[in-house]
Amino acid sequence: MKILFFTGKGGVGKSTMSAASAWQLSQNHRVLIVSLDPAHNLGDVFGVVLNHKKQRFTDSLYLKEVNLQKLCREYLQREIRVFTDTYRYLQTINLDSYFSVLKYSPGIEEYALLTSIEETVRSEKDIDYIVFDTPPTGLTLRFLALPWITMTWIDRLMQIRRDILEKRHTIYRIRGILDDKETILSYDENDDDILKRLKTLNGNYQALSSILQGNDCGIVLVYNPDTLSLKESKRLIDGLRELKLPLRLLINNKIQKKYTAMADHVDSVIKSLAPAVPIQRVAFSEHLLDGQNSTLYDIEETILSPFEMK
Amino acid sequence: MISSMVHWVRRIVADFDATHREKATALTVMEMEELENIFALLLLGSFAGFPSPPTFLAVELLPYMERELQILCKRAKDCNDMLAEMCGTIGID
Repeated sequence: MKILFFTGKGGVGKSTMSAASAWQLSQNHRVLIVSLDPAHNLGDVFGVVLNHKKQRFTDSLYLKEVNLQKLCREYLQREIRVFTDTYRYLQTINLDSYFSVLKYSPGIEEYALLTSIEETVRSEKDIDYIVFDTPPTGLTLRFLALPWITMTWIDRLMQIRRDILEKRHTIYRIRGILDDKETILSYDENDDDILKRLKTLNGNYQALSSILQGNDCGIVLVYNPDTLSLKESKRLIDGLRELKLPLRLLINNKIQKKYTAMADHVDSVIKSLAPAVPIQRVAFSEHLLDGQNSTLYDIEETILSPFEMK
Repeated sequence: MISSMVHWVRRIVADFDATHREKATALTVMEMEELENIFALLLLGSFAGFPSPPTFLAVELLPYMERELQILCKRAKDCNDMLAEMCGTIGID
């Protein structure tokens, strides 16, 4: 299975390019296109109404729009359930409902996005290509960085936890149990709930980061021939390099004949930043203006032609 | 009479043993509690104004953190007189 992420500044045509790529790939492969952008327009590009579930468009093309709010809600519901199980006694005085305030925790959106990617990759075994249409640069970089940030924290926390368990073991061996009513603190790695949870999380993130950094994953950067788009693309290229994520293709989209010189300039700057990455040029589509053509995904250029995922 | 004497001697020895075991581990217990305090502080640092890990990590572990939170509160209460606490543990009067 190959995974493609279409990224770029808001409004550059990520959804159209990802939809067109998915459509072209689906002529020979089984493809799933997933929109992670909270401002969905994947359904608009394909001219269909999408919900949170996977929907069949053709025999080899499936579409899905991820409902971020629903994902956040589901995740927090699960956590709140663990809380209320742990503090079950609060149910007797009706205080358990106060845990619902957790739904206002910041940073949950990125986590929900990442979880959605992980679940999609894990569950869609019979698909050849998964194409992700991502939110604009800022949020995309944040959620792509999340596995590494989280693993650094988990690593440090696991180290401290092991030190705590070692001390507990030493104390248990010297001191023993002095009183029958005394609670024995867990000192074994397999008995400690916190370490067990940290280990599970670490395993999940390691698997996810090896997928994201692997040969079967590729980032496609979409930009327009204008200064703002160029500046944001530079930041994105730097960000991806820092995260060691594989940038596989650059798409200069919406090129108009009268602005070819600007397109050349933007391409030359981008090329100097990522010399090994091929550039695909896509002309400005007149269909976008007249609004008559509903097959916005069917464009002339073969988008993924300059690169082939090995 | 003899049996109650034996019982009495046994209790003295047991208490003596327990006291020495407690004393021998006092410093390690303090170290362990400090580590647990650091663990809670790192994870829930935003309460004390520290940079915190990704929120969901704190949310994931929070249900299992009752003991650590209790220690965190105890340390926060005793932090004005930590020197006295340490002297007490080490045995300096």
